[in-house]
Amino acid sequence: MRRLLLASLLAIVGCRPAPDRPATPPVAQRIVSLAPSSTELLFALGAGGQVVGRTTWCRYPPAALQVTDVGDGLNPNIEAIAARRPDLVVLYRSQLNETAATQLARLGIPSVTLAQDRLEDIGRAARALGRLTGRQTAGDSIGAAMEALLRTPAPAPIRRVAFVVWDNPPMIIGAGSYLDQLATLAGGVNVFHDLSAASATVSIETIVARNPDVILVLSDSTAPPAYSARREWRAIRAVREGRFIMLPADLFGRPSPSAPAAVAALHRMLETEAQR
Amino acid sequence: MRRWLGLGALLAVAFVGAVVLGPAHVALRDLASSDIVLSLRVPRALLALLVGGSLGVAGASLQALVRNPLADPFLLGLSGGAGLGAVLAIALHVAGPWALPLAAFAGALGAMALVYRLGLVGGAQLDPRVLLLAGVAVGAFAGAITTAIVSLAEAADLRNAFLWLWGGLSGASWDTVLVMAAYIPLPLVVLYAAARPLDLLALGEEPATHLGADVEPLKRRVYIAASMLTAAAVAVSGVIGFVGLIVPHITRLVWGHRHRALLPAAFLAGGALLLFADTAARVAVAPRELPVGIVTALVGVPLFAVLLRRWGGAGARA
Repeated sequence: MRRLLLASLLAIVGCRPAPDRPATPPVAQRIVSLAPSSTELLFALGAGGQVVGRTTWCRYPPAALQVTDVGDGLNPNIEAIAARRPDLVVLYRSQLNETAATQLARLGIPSVTLAQDRLEDIGRAARALGRLTGRQTAGDSIGAAMEALLRTPAPAPIRRVAFVVWDNPPMIIGAGSYLDQLATLAGGVNVFHDLSAASATVSIETIVARNPDVILVLSDSTAPPAYSARREWRAIRAVREGRFIMLPADLFGRPSPSAPAAVAALHRMLETEAQR
Repeated sequence: MRRWLGLGALLAVAFVGAVVLGPAHVALRDLASSDIVLSLRVPRALLALLVGGSLGVAGASLQALVRNPLADPFLLGLSGGAGLGAVLAIALHVAGPWALPLAAFAGALGAMALVYRLGLVGGAQLDPRVLLLAGVAVGAFAGAITTAIVSLAEAADLRNAFLWLWGGLSGASWDTVLVMAAYIPLPLVVLYAAARPLDLLALGEEPATHLGADVEPLKRRVYIAASMLTAAAVAVSGVIGFVGLIVPHITRLVWGHRHRALLPAAFLAGGALLLFADTAARVAVAPRELPVGIVTALVGVPLFAVLLRRWGGAGARA
């Protein structure tokens, strides 16, 4: 047991850059990306050709589908990743991935763990991945664009919105999610902005009481969600009036470098809705 | 008589609490006209009463049938079957506002039929021990298939099927209340009619036969009726644990082992417990909501531990 502990300690220490090494790491040529947002970012940086592994969920941009699938990435399959002989693994920051990073370090595979939950994370991740892939200029430019977006003063509120992501139990998006940020920047007021979590289960009566003007739904379909026909949901005014805005997953499904386009699209949709 | 009045008062308090309290503020004078109260809280409270009551009665009957104090309506594989049905409906993109409850109901009935068939392996007699084992086995098998589908399929929505399975009454509406109210009287009457023979069955199958109980048809009727109740409960509210396990034990402590009193008491007490639990789930962390199955477990497990300690194996005898 003690030997195992020592070994893992060494592995952790071993993956830290030694002080006498040059500040710029070598350019990664074989990257396995274990989160849809990192995959999208790598392609946006122009480093798509260096990506040799992706998760099942990495389906954007379409070119990413050509890359080998190494599993769902939630509990990374170390063997499948190692088989791609990567010189860099990009991990999404989570508990399971901490373990994965240690396991990869033991195999001598470098990894980088990036938070990608909020819009500000995207700029930071873009700069970090830019450096690691030799696309520093592209990384800095995405970083600057994201920072500019976040500095833009929010427009005057157009509509009060609720993101309903699941119906039974009813789940909504709170202030912790990038969707809340997108809504604010587009002139929407999330009626659940007071909840700090990214998402939360609430009662239908809470949605009724907060009375959003429009329900935002992450969906590629244009038909209103099935629950809108259920009687308990029709207690919500926006549901009764059929006020749904469907947000396509490619643009809104994850925090991404195309956030400025997502904000512009949502702004247009909210304005159209307000004129209904 | 006092005991019944007490239970009635408890149920009334639970019901009024469920209607008056909620995450949204409704002034007392607006109670009768508020849309939140009339189209959400009242049907939800009624559904809690019907589901809690059904689970209480199903639990009491099954504990008597298998003569095992640990029997729970969901122990007999129904939750596994319902979960499989729900996950299949999501994975196969079955659309429609009622797709999930119908698929869960079908899954639960499928599991019930399979367990019943396995319970007959010893011949024409339904062996309670085999029934229990078959229930656990079918439940585990359905659970394994469910997990396989969830990990292989590509819909992120599937994760939410597990949330649904944890149980909750957010699907409550006058539609669900009417469906339940029309559906449960038949199995309830079947079980109540079996109250006297169930008392005899507690003595053992052989003595029950000698005392004039028609044991084989009795066991089948009780098993099917209790399962039908549970299947309906899981379809409208997911798997709400511990109500069907705890309530029969508590009511047995107060009303004794006579099923003619025990079954109605289990219905009212089950309804009251679920009403309290659902009100707590809606109010405790408002505006967020807890899964009610977690609340019943949080209340149920310590209560169960105390019961086991105080009355040991003898008092908990079914």
